[in-house]
Amino acid sequence: MPKFDKMAYASADEMIFGTAKNPVKYGRDFTVGGGYVFPELVPHPRPGTETTKKTLVKEYEKMVTDVLGRCVAIGIPGIQIELEHVYQMTKNPDWGGEIAAATKHLQEEYHRKYGLKSAIRATIADYRKPDEEDIRNCVALENQLKTFETSAAGGADNLSIESVGGKEISDYTIVRQDIRGTLFGIGVLGSRDMEFMWKKIVEIADKYGVTPGGDTDCAQANVAMFMAGGYQDRSVPHTFAALTRAISAARSLVAYEQGAKGPSKDCGYEDVIIKAITGVPIAMEGKASACAHSDLVGNLIAACCDLWSNEAVEYHDMFGGTTVAVFTEILGYDVALMNTAIEMGQAKILRDMMVESDKYRDTHGFILCPQNAYEIGKAIVENNTSYYARARAAAIKAGELMLKDSKLQMSAFEKESLESAMRTLESLPEKEEDFISECADIYKKLIPGFSLANYGL
Amino acid sequence: MATVANYSNIFVRYDLVGTGDAKGAKLSSKDAALQKVIQCVLEGDSDNIVDAVNEALATKDPMVVINEGLIKGMNEVSRLWDEGEYYLPQAIVASDAMLIGLEICEKKLGKSVEKKGTVVTHTAEGDIHDLGQKIVNALLRANGFEVVDLGKDVPVDEVITAVKKYNPVMVTGTALMTTTMTAFEKISKRLIKEGYKIPFVCGGGAVSNEYVQGYELGVYGKDASQAPGMASDAVNGMDWMQIREKWNS
Repeated sequence: MPKFDKMAYASADEMIFGTAKNPVKYGRDFTVGGGYVFPELVPHPRPGTETTKKTLVKEYEKMVTDVLGRCVAIGIPGIQIELEHVYQMTKNPDWGGEIAAATKHLQEEYHRKYGLKSAIRATIADYRKPDEEDIRNCVALENQLKTFETSAAGGADNLSIESVGGKEISDYTIVRQDIRGTLFGIGVLGSRDMEFMWKKIVEIADKYGVTPGGDTDCAQANVAMFMAGGYQDRSVPHTFAALTRAISAARSLVAYEQGAKGPSKDCGYEDVIIKAITGVPIAMEGKASACAHSDLVGNLIAACCDLWSNEAVEYHDMFGGTTVAVFTEILGYDVALMNTAIEMGQAKILRDMMVESDKYRDTHGFILCPQNAYEIGKAIVENNTSYYARARAAAIKAGELMLKDSKLQMSAFEKESLESAMRTLESLPEKEEDFISECADIYKKLIPGFSLANYGL
Repeated sequence: MATVANYSNIFVRYDLVGTGDAKGAKLSSKDAALQKVIQCVLEGDSDNIVDAVNEALATKDPMVVINEGLIKGMNEVSRLWDEGEYYLPQAIVASDAMLIGLEICEKKLGKSVEKKGTVVTHTAEGDIHDLGQKIVNALLRANGFEVVDLGKDVPVDEVITAVKKYNPVMVTGTALMTTTMTAFEKISKRLIKEGYKIPFVCGGGAVSNEYVQGYELGVYGKDASQAPGMASDAVNGMDWMQIREKWNS
């Protein structure tokens, strides 16, 4: 159940890139949130290389070598490499373990030769199917837990996941602009599933002496954000997606209540709210993740980051070298600028410039700028009586912030969508049990395979 | 702290350029009962469409309610979406309402309305992200196609078996990751080997036009909304190469 009842920071102005209240140290001389920002590079194998373990391990060895080589070539002081599992690495636990071991071997070599600081995050693929199986007792879960173990044993320093609890509901409701169901899928079911998963992940991390990192609402809030897309897309209203993000903060917080230490996952755009509440270091992605997807928060999202990531880049050749080397360089120069600002005592100025660049570009950036993220965080901790209560409070606060700032422009349709969602949010039951009962009746009829038992209900 | 006085030199809100008041639906029926059916479809009102359709069926033939109410309403929704007035959620909830109404009419008819054709849809093996496929399913059904939904994480063999069983006009595949989309090429080869030359529309996440055009039968689906048009082309006799030429070049 909810545990956080106060903010880690006294005000939003205290929050800044490179420094977290609770820094985390692991890997090869690697500290996150301890005063400087480091890049986090996520390499993605080429299609076809996943065919056998041998070819996939080889692919990762080449990619990691290129990343570390570029760090040394241009003088990047340290780097985290994320092994974001393709499903073959989690379905076959020894594959994930072997790739982590190969990566560690290379990082140790560069640390020994050049003193390059480094660390490995292993993000295990959550391929459970909530509408088709018992997600608390299935082969996928068994494989996932085994892969956490093999990865930790092989050399991963940080264990993370993009968990999918409640996705069967949110997939249905996001494309229907149904905020009640989205709150149920992410805020209630997602949180309950994270409580279940993160107890197990933290247990494994403790057993191997590695760091439990964090989760992300990639499966839900990112779906809404990416469907909302750019200015010309008409799949999901941007205002609706922004509400979904506020709800996701209450959900992703559960990892830290169960013992995760961070840094959070890069694609958890809600992480800035998490940092305000917990003080854990966060990984973020923006302009340098355009290789994987587009967003409207390119600069703003770096304002409070401790790791700066590229999301994922597929391995190919470019004029400037291989893609992983090129994106290492892009990230390296980005963090060099942030760290220079820190050294020159100008960090807050750079942070504020990042924020102003995007704050009014879109509703998503607006609610994630430090000042508004902090307000949403406060709504979460002040309503910590249940997962439902705090997720609902987060959404209502985000909506209020969007509606009251006259500089934030929105079309008539976007505004109407927001006001409609707000009316629904305000009309919902006060008690979590009443809300669950109401939603259970509705969504059992609409979504085949939906089972409350998957969430201990 | 210094603030920005003029954001227009930093970014332009192209979504607000040229926007005016919504024009709304142009469609209406002189018949009050059919108008209620149309209105329920336009508003995606799944709660009230049951009563509206039953009321219309009290005095009208089910095929009239289908053609003059449900389908007309859905065609107007398509127009509003094409013209940028409706968002996807409105099209999806309209489709939900229309299909509820259709089921009532079919019960009264005692048989299913003849579908335009069958489409087999799936999400690639190893991939549980089937949202794109679900949208494709909804839009195909709303446009009168029979959908055989194989679900997510579907092995190659299951797709081939379904094609043999249902003899579809088109197959679709959805994948989020490049390392799952490699199944598409295997499916294409198996279909060719088994003698099927139907369009195999692939899309989603990291799937690219270039990759899909790299194997026979492959047609790149950039957006779920293209699926009904592609299926209609297949029904109207275009082969996979012509469909590829029309939608991918």
